[in-house]
Formats: sequence, structure tokens, C-alpha cells
Amino acid sequence: MMRTLLPSLLLWGLGMPVWAHGVELGFSTTPAIEVQARYDTGQPMAKAQVTVFAPGDPGVAWLTGQTDGEGRFWFRPDPAQLGAWQVRVRQGGHGGMLTIPVTTPAEDVMGDEPEAPDLKIPASPPASLSPWLRLGMAASWVWGLVGTALFFARKTHAPS
Amino acid sequence: MFVFWGSILIFGLMAPVWAATGQLHIEANGEDFIRQGFVSKDGWALEFSQVKLHFTQVSALQTDPPFNPDQGGSPTIKQRVDLPGGVVDLKGAEPVLLGTVTGAPPGFYNALSWQLTPTPELGGASLLLVGTATKGNVRLPFQIKVDQGYRVLCGEYIGEERRGILQPGGTARLEATFHFDHLFGDGEQDANDSLNQEALGFAPLAALAEGGRLEVTYSQVHKQLSPADAEKLSQALQGLAHTGEGHCRVEVLE
Repeated sequence: MMRTLLPSLLLWGLGMPVWAHGVELGFSTTPAIEVQARYDTGQPMAKAQVTVFAPGDPGVAWLTGQTDGEGRFWFRPDPAQLGAWQVRVRQGGHGGMLTIPVTTPAEDVMGDEPEAPDLKIPASPPASLSPWLRLGMAASWVWGLVGTALFFARKTHAPS
Repeated sequence: MFVFWGSILIFGLMAPVWAATGQLHIEANGEDFIRQGFVSKDGWALEFSQVKLHFTQVSALQTDPPFNPDQGGSPTIKQRVDLPGGVVDLKGAEPVLLGTVTGAPPGFYNALSWQLTPTPELGGASLLLVGTATKGNVRLPFQIKVDQGYRVLCGEYIGEERRGILQPGGTARLEATFHFDHLFGDGEQDANDSLNQEALGFAPLAALAEGGRLEVTYSQVHKQLSPADAEKLSQALQGLAHTGEGHCRVEVLE
């Protein structure tokens, strides 16, 4: 069963400023992404489990939540983390993954058929070796080389 | 003594390589539908004694952009590791280990592909289902051989946890998952649920039983069923393969 997840760009917080006694309120507009999740029958995935993954760390959920009754979910990506944001939506044993390219903070990612995302899978971290592993490797090298040399040396000088 | 010193030397030489790669476990899973049995959409209680699959050309892929099987196009493969495959019984464990790739380059394995091919080991089948179906007082032993091959290309594993992210020196898991409720339907779901609407069920197969047993191949059944049911069977078999809850693109091998 296929699901369709449609991202669109919204403006949050539109409205008029309000003043009250001793309080100063204001507003600003912030780009946000709306995800629309539905089954291929057209039925919205209402109250479905949503997990958002940021481009820099695909193994850790950046945000979790739930779709509304219409299968919609909104989030505001961290503008400092450009790249492919991924949104996983699951419900009752069915699930899908949506990739949303965010290349500049103000980029419009509207559209029913988003272009293939320019996902930059984070480069694997350099193989950082622990001090104990480094020590073990060095000892193994020395031990192995010396031991092998001694072995052949003994063979060479052994009485026949 | 030479073996001892040589082993130490080999460890010293290989340690950086092992630390820079990882282990990728590839598993197969028939879920509780197979392990515990279930009731089909038409009321047949299905219990399985064997559900064997013949895997070939199993590959874990790092794709960029992430491969989406629901959209067109081929995956752009940045890294690939392979397993030869073999025969596994989904009844065996939760899940069944298909194999382990040692020395796998780290990265995010966000796609998985495999083939199911007929093999003499399964009597010419790529998928063998053996079990018993019960409805009321009728008890029907069955053996169904799917004598057709499939090429399967899946996207990312979708489930409770995110899988396939392999760190240097670490381990990661991927899973070929088979949803047999897509074939037989699920009696616990509403009859109007799209899954049950699209599933074949078991009744059309039970109607082909002879002498109190159902022993059929896909090729035989496809000719005996009504055109509508034959189409449902064909589509349902192609809809079995998933990775977790994630979708796959399935083609019939000629």
C-alpha cells in the first residue's frame, strides 16, 4: 500500500501583534514544511507516528510527533543544517520515508512531485582508533615481527 | 610457534582494516504471520510448517539520492556489498540470518536488493509454502510451490528503528521482510480494508484441492483460477516483499 507524502512550504505565525498590560508581543514569519501523509486510496494517515531526521545525523531522530486528523505534520528545519531532511511516517504496520531537499533556508520546496533530493549522506567519520587498539596494534606489529624473525633465526642456527 | 607469531603479525596488519570497516547482517523475516499462523480474509486458519525461499544475488546498497521504489528510475549506487544467498526457512527463527558481510565499507545502506529464483532444492520453486489450513471441520494440508522467479529492489528499511547505518568497526542489520497477509488477507482486518480487497485469500486455492490435499504450483494455479483471481495471485506474490514496512519494486524474472 503506497503512501504519498507531500511537502510544502508554509509561513508560520502570520497575524497581528497584540499588546497587553506589561507584555510585549510580536511576530515574525518563519518557513516551515508541511508533510501530507495518506494512503494510496486517498485516505489521510491520521494520527500517524512521524519521525524527522536531520541531514547530519541520520541515525538519531531530530524530532518526533504525530500527524493531525488530516494526515498533516509541520516542522521547521534547522536552517543551519542544509541537505536532505528525511521524514518517516508509520501507522499500523505501514510506513514510508520522504526525503526533502533543503539547500537554502528560503528555498521553496513546494510541489506534489519533489525533485530527486540532493541527499548528502554524511561522510563516514574517519576510523578513529582507540588508544588501547593503537597500543595493541603496535605491540602486535613488534611482537609479530620480532617473533617471526627469531623463529627463522632459530631455524637457521639449529644444529642438524 | 610460527603460526602463533604469524597470527599476531596478521592481527597487527589487519586491525586497521577491521577497524575501518564493519559487519552487515542481512536477515529474512516472515513475521508472526508465518511463525504463529493467522486467519485468512476468508476464514481459513493457516499454520505453516515450512516457508522456504531461495535467495540469490543479495546486495546491500548505499544510494544517493536515497532510492525510492515508489518512484521511477534506477538507484544511484555509491557503495555495494554482496551475499550469495541460499535457501532459508522463515519458520526457523525471528528473523532468519541470511548472511553476514564482513569488511563492509561504512556508510548508510539505504537500499536492499535480491532475487528469488527456482531451485531443485525446493523442487523447482523459489518459494515453498507447506502447512495446514483449517476451516470448520475441514482440515486441508497444503503444499504450494511458486515456480517463478522475482527480482526485488527495495528502498530503506522502515520500522521502529532506523537500520543500515554502519559505523567503522560496528555492525548494522538489514531485513528482507515478507508480508503474507498481502497474499491471503487478514481475517482480523475489515473485509473492506484495501489489503483484504487486494489479497487473493485462501478459499480460491482450497477450491483446487484434490483428495483432501492441496498440492499445486503457481503455474498450475494461474491457469485454473478465474482471470480476476489469477491476477490477484500474481499481484499479491509481487507484493510480498518489503524491507520492514518499506516498499520494494518487484519484477518477474523471465
